[in-house]
Amino acid sequence: MTRFVPYLVVALSAAVAVFRVRRRRARAGNTVRPVRRAWLDRDVITASPRAHELGLVAGRELRERLRGRMFRVGTVLMLAAVAAAIVIPTLHENHAKPQKVGVISVLMPTVQPAAVAAATGAGTTATVISEPDAAAARDALRAGRVDVAIIGGPASLPTLLVDKPLDPKSTSTTTQFVHTLALTLGEDVSFHAAGLTPDQAAQVAGTRPLPINSLQAASTRPPAAISVTGIILIFMMLTQYNTWTLIGVMEEKSSRVAEVLLSSLRPARLLTGKVLGIGVAAFAQAGLIVAFALILAKSVGSPLMHGSEPLAVAASLTWLLLGYAFYCWVYAAAGSMAQRRDQVQTLALPLSLPILFGYAISLATITSGTPSAFYRVLAYLPPTAPFAMPTLVGFGGVTWWQFAASAATSLAATIAVARFAAVVYRKSILRTGRRVRVRELVTSTAGR
Amino acid sequence: MLQTHALTCRFGDITALDDLSFDVCAGQVTGFLGHNGAGKTTTMRAVFGLADLDSGEVRWDGLPLRQEDRRRFGYMPEERGLYPAMPVGDQLVYLGRLHGLSAAAAQRAVDAWLERLGLGGRAGSKVEELSHGNQQRVQLAAALLHDPELLVLDEPLAGLDPSGIDAIGEVLVEQARAGKCVLFSSHQLDQVEDLCETVVIIAHGRLVATGTVDELAGGGPRRLVVRVEGDRGGGWARGLAGVKISETDRGAVRLVLAEGTDSDTVLKAAMAAGRVTEFVFERRRLSEVFREAIA
Repeated sequence: MTRFVPYLVVALSAAVAVFRVRRRRARAGNTVRPVRRAWLDRDVITASPRAHELGLVAGRELRERLRGRMFRVGTVLMLAAVAAAIVIPTLHENHAKPQKVGVISVLMPTVQPAAVAAATGAGTTATVISEPDAAAARDALRAGRVDVAIIGGPASLPTLLVDKPLDPKSTSTTTQFVHTLALTLGEDVSFHAAGLTPDQAAQVAGTRPLPINSLQAASTRPPAAISVTGIILIFMMLTQYNTWTLIGVMEEKSSRVAEVLLSSLRPARLLTGKVLGIGVAAFAQAGLIVAFALILAKSVGSPLMHGSEPLAVAASLTWLLLGYAFYCWVYAAAGSMAQRRDQVQTLALPLSLPILFGYAISLATITSGTPSAFYRVLAYLPPTAPFAMPTLVGFGGVTWWQFAASAATSLAATIAVARFAAVVYRKSILRTGRRVRVRELVTSTAGR
Repeated sequence: MLQTHALTCRFGDITALDDLSFDVCAGQVTGFLGHNGAGKTTTMRAVFGLADLDSGEVRWDGLPLRQEDRRRFGYMPEERGLYPAMPVGDQLVYLGRLHGLSAAAAQRAVDAWLERLGLGGRAGSKVEELSHGNQQRVQLAAALLHDPELLVLDEPLAGLDPSGIDAIGEVLVEQARAGKCVLFSSHQLDQVEDLCETVVIIAHGRLVATGTVDELAGGGPRRLVVRVEGDRGGGWARGLAGVKISETDRGAVRLVLAEGTDSDTVLKAAMAAGRVTEFVFERRRLSEVFREAIA
């Protein structure tokens, strides 16, 4: 995968170069601008005024968003956060602390192999250092020259001594190492007390558990990490991009530009173009982040993206798309009812509840390891399917037709929601003053 | 020609438009007058399909209005609407293209209109950086870019200084001379009188008067402006039979003479009160027409 890194760098540099040239041209003068594709406009207008208008609205939305500082800074920050999440754990792992074991001169013969075995188990290395007596070993511990000291000898029961008490929950290298070392040395002492020869002791120490076979074939493999990462990404992106839609619609209403636009455009086209434009900007960002995360994770060998098979990634991206398509209409309709930023929170909170529910129950299901029947039902309900379906794909128990059925249900629901949203949008986008209430819309819709 | 035909629109218990019918002819500037809440904005919105009518329809050249027709209209809503953070030039090109202009044609129109309205070097400025008057000019440019056949302007003169009023007024008259339909609403009746050939007056959503300014101002009872030294309030005219004081204006009184009232009687009464320095017959002002129509 690391071989893709140079291509990515080249692509990024090309994008930056094009952007700089365009900016220089734009600064050079506003009036002199080479205008191409004049023929295209006329052809598109005559062929399909609808495509022409949608293209114009979506194009403006996309251009303004990509031009905005918020978008650029946000993208850079998200890339930085993803890079940190992937790289920092691997740094920590690669630099697991080498352990130093202090032993007083009367050595148990098995300390050296036990220390090496325990260090390998904890993913590090160990050095055995001789100390003249117990007092010197204590000093070395206090001074941090050794991590653990073994006191006592063949005659008395040996004890492991550390500087600070070990937290039983800690997963640090030292804790793991000391626990393993204590266990191994304890076994050695028992073998010695039982009078086993070193060969016999080695045989007992090498005991392996018997294999366990099941009558039924294993149906589920452990959920891959991509499920968790994918679910977290879907959650973050759905909430973020839908809020973009909500605020975008709200701003068109509060700046009153909607009335100017609607004097020549049908409301449904303005709404659709807007949702499309924001969607394309959102997916450009999402695609960039996911590609960046995958390439970076592969190149540094991060376990975070472990199990990122093309199928799982494709399932997550498909449901991110379907989830955005479903929710964006709801958020856009809500945006047309508000006209100030402080109303956005009030409107967005109830809308985000199904997203939050789908997210939470998916995380719980991944942790428990077995999807319940209820959870399988959620995978077919459009509000929760964007989380539940890719999780089930991660568990491996989904056939292609189940996936397709859920996607088709979601698409059908999206069309219905879009129709409803267009009605709400048309009724509320030009209403100013206080916030439009849902009840007013329902009664006025029913009244006509 | 634009025709509104029996427009009726209700919001709950309020009747915003009540069987409203009038015509806006090409080649003329038509003033649209009425108190706040009379239904002017609702009518204008109805032309663009932005108000839900309970009955009636808007016609263009005798046929029911279609969405495609609206693309050839220009609209300046009462609540000004532009993207605050988007550069003026880009914004206008976008709006022009939404009305069916090609990118090149839109760019040409934007350059020409910005130049014409005195905003030559401002194409790269954001709208929020412009003064109120200049934002208003940009808004007017947005309505004019695509050379519309009908211009509908809701309070285009509100909040402008005299030079702004002159600039916009000049454009409106010029558009009408070029054969366009121009409908605009205003509260500044003196300016309407200067700019318009025709007016439509509505009250409570109903039509109360329509016609040319000459017809409306010339009709009705005679007006007499009389100035008497030492009597600025026109106390001398009170109690004269067939005479009503319409208003006092900088020391002169405007009198409305009932049918058959002899102006000689009035002159004699004035001379008895003091030295008469002004005695003129005038036609009705638009403000008087308006006040009498909605009374």
